[in-house]
Amino acid sequence: MNRQHRISRRRVLGRAAGVGTVAAIGGGAGLSRLEEALAARRAPAVLRQGAPLVYWGGLIFSDEANQMLVDEVTAWGEANGVATETVMINQNETNQKVSAAVESGTMPDALDMGLDLLLLLSQAGELSDLGDLYATIGGGEGGWYPSVDASVAADKLGGAHTGIPFGASGNLLFSRTDALEAAGQTPPPETWQELREMAEAAQEPPLYGMGLALSNVGDGNLQISVMQSYGGRVANDEGTDCTIASPETAAYLEWVSSAYEAGLFPPGATTWDGAGDNTAYLAGQAIFIANTGSVSIAMDEDDPELAAATSYSPLPAGPVGRVSPINPNVRAVPTSTQDQDRAKALIEHLQGRDFLERYYAVAIYGPVLQYQADFEAFTGPVRAGLADLVTNGTAPGAPDVYNTAYADFSANFLVPKMVQRVVVDGVPIEQAMEETQQQGQAIYDKYR
Amino acid sequence: MAAVQPIGRANRSWSPVLRRVALYATLALVALAIVFPVYWMVTISLKLPREIYRLPGLWPQAPTLENYRELIVERGFLINIRNSLVVAGATTLASVGMSTLAAFSIVRFRYRFKGLVGRLILFAYLTPTSLLFIPLSVIVARLQLGDTLYGLVIVYLTFSVPLSTWLLIGYFRGVPAELEEQAMVDGTTRLGAMLRILLPLSLPGLAAVGIFTFTAAWNELLLALIFITNENRRTVPLGLQYLITGDVFLWGPIMAGAVLSALPVIVLYFLAQRYMVQGLTAGSVKG
Repeated sequence: MNRQHRISRRRVLGRAAGVGTVAAIGGGAGLSRLEEALAARRAPAVLRQGAPLVYWGGLIFSDEANQMLVDEVTAWGEANGVATETVMINQNETNQKVSAAVESGTMPDALDMGLDLLLLLSQAGELSDLGDLYATIGGGEGGWYPSVDASVAADKLGGAHTGIPFGASGNLLFSRTDALEAAGQTPPPETWQELREMAEAAQEPPLYGMGLALSNVGDGNLQISVMQSYGGRVANDEGTDCTIASPETAAYLEWVSSAYEAGLFPPGATTWDGAGDNTAYLAGQAIFIANTGSVSIAMDEDDPELAAATSYSPLPAGPVGRVSPINPNVRAVPTSTQDQDRAKALIEHLQGRDFLERYYAVAIYGPVLQYQADFEAFTGPVRAGLADLVTNGTAPGAPDVYNTAYADFSANFLVPKMVQRVVVDGVPIEQAMEETQQQGQAIYDKYR
Repeated sequence: MAAVQPIGRANRSWSPVLRRVALYATLALVALAIVFPVYWMVTISLKLPREIYRLPGLWPQAPTLENYRELIVERGFLINIRNSLVVAGATTLASVGMSTLAAFSIVRFRYRFKGLVGRLILFAYLTPTSLLFIPLSVIVARLQLGDTLYGLVIVYLTFSVPLSTWLLIGYFRGVPAELEEQAMVDGTTRLGAMLRILLPLSLPGLAAVGIFTFTAAWNELLLALIFITNENRRTVPLGLQYLITGDVFLWGPIMAGAVLSALPVIVLYFLAQRYMVQGLTAGSVKG
């Protein structure tokens, strides 16, 4: 039996050796492919002319706009003899996709992104200088809007214009006029305190007054703007040290916690996901929300009655002023792109007047170039609000300095977490501020 | 004594009834907790957005298949299902084949570092996916496997083979080696003994491992999100993920997609539920 076992084992091992040899040969083939891949990355552009120009477009909540972008890139490619491959990337997943692509050397030739990612990639030296293109596009009638121009200034992005803005986002205040007027209130509220008072007067659960996220999502960071409008600051004027613990921040926390205790926020606002405010508004459970405009598209398509009962206005002001940041969306060209000229030519084409006039009519973006204010798209209430935001809104992060530390601070949702400590955990305002001060300082210390 | 007897009889006659009522009530509650989310998913898939948001109710007021039409006709969800079937099916076949040989080797042969190999297999499985996706993306890109379904199959195998091997080690240890030895005495080879004796006796374990692997590959999102870019190669979880754009959830199509994507797995579990329970429990206690 043992003998039989040993013989069989040899046989099995022998077969394993055979399989190993085959695998080694296969591995050799794999190595060849690896070398080819690396060689392809090193190859000059002229050798890669057959490769398609890969463009990652940002997927937005408008199928029509998404398809229009894909069609435009395809048409440009056909007209110029360039093979193109357009992939619409869900903007919720852009960071993961780009992280993996940067590490593996598989970045597209051009891509859309938001300001946070532009800042990080620019400072890491991953994006090409598009200064010439930026000047050419902005050199037309009117030029860039000052707020847009300031948002992507070269000094903020490692010394170069690495992003070409193509649309501005930002928050508008959505108000349920039917509920407010029934309670004798006339929107829009001019201040956050007035908003609170209107909400209190008009709300009748399950219709709640303040559909503002207090959770750890992007919408929750609206609370940074509210805090800033009360005079609170994330950091000092140099953007080097966290200065969130202040009497002004305490005043903001007093406002938000008293509204929470009065039951003005819908249940679950401290744990909402990114669609919490949308869902609350579309479900008829919120009188006020702050939203970039996607809710209006959903209402127009699915609930015209609710759309008719909604008015749009700029975000309210606080005791020291109105803080309503714009967030330009940009197109960029990675440094790894072999054919930089064609990538830039595509971006320049997508900034063309004809295309953008049609695109803005179906997408939810504010203008970035001053001549675009005349587009018919910006006569509707939501898009007019976005155009107004570009004119009268504040720069990203302002009055704080928008730098990597600020972006990291925002990405950690420290302000909504500070609010949660007060309204959920019942921690005194001073203690919550001090905790956030320490956490914020630790972040700013990383970027000294 | 005589006065006590009726009470005793009453206790004896009522207790089983009460126990049964309590048992069924508990089971009904458990069943409700399990079935209700499925029911809710199905009902949402039959509603239009306005009804979903503004008129929430247990029963659709105007049931419609519009979400299914949008999903299949406009968004090509059947391509996602086809891709998932290819990826999950290939992963399952390859994983069961490789892990069977690996587990057989570890359980039946004696060689150096066998125990270490067994432990390393388990450790490989325990490494969080979120830590591995960037190194994996480098390897996948350099082997030019990115944005391909077979690349995704290979990536999934790096996670499924260790777990499958570990489960099968436990199951194979429960099958007496003497049965294979008797077959070899009768003239069959070691491989023949494995194929004719061990594997037929281990069918419940193999079925359990197969179903487990299929389900894991069918539901996987993070790696598919990283490695698949082309719209025509998206799997089911990716297809569903792309129904969330920005801060808007298309709940109707999402729920319709969830219903459609659950069907293959439900059928698989229904056909093999007996093996699934038997296989997993056997492996777990005999390892």
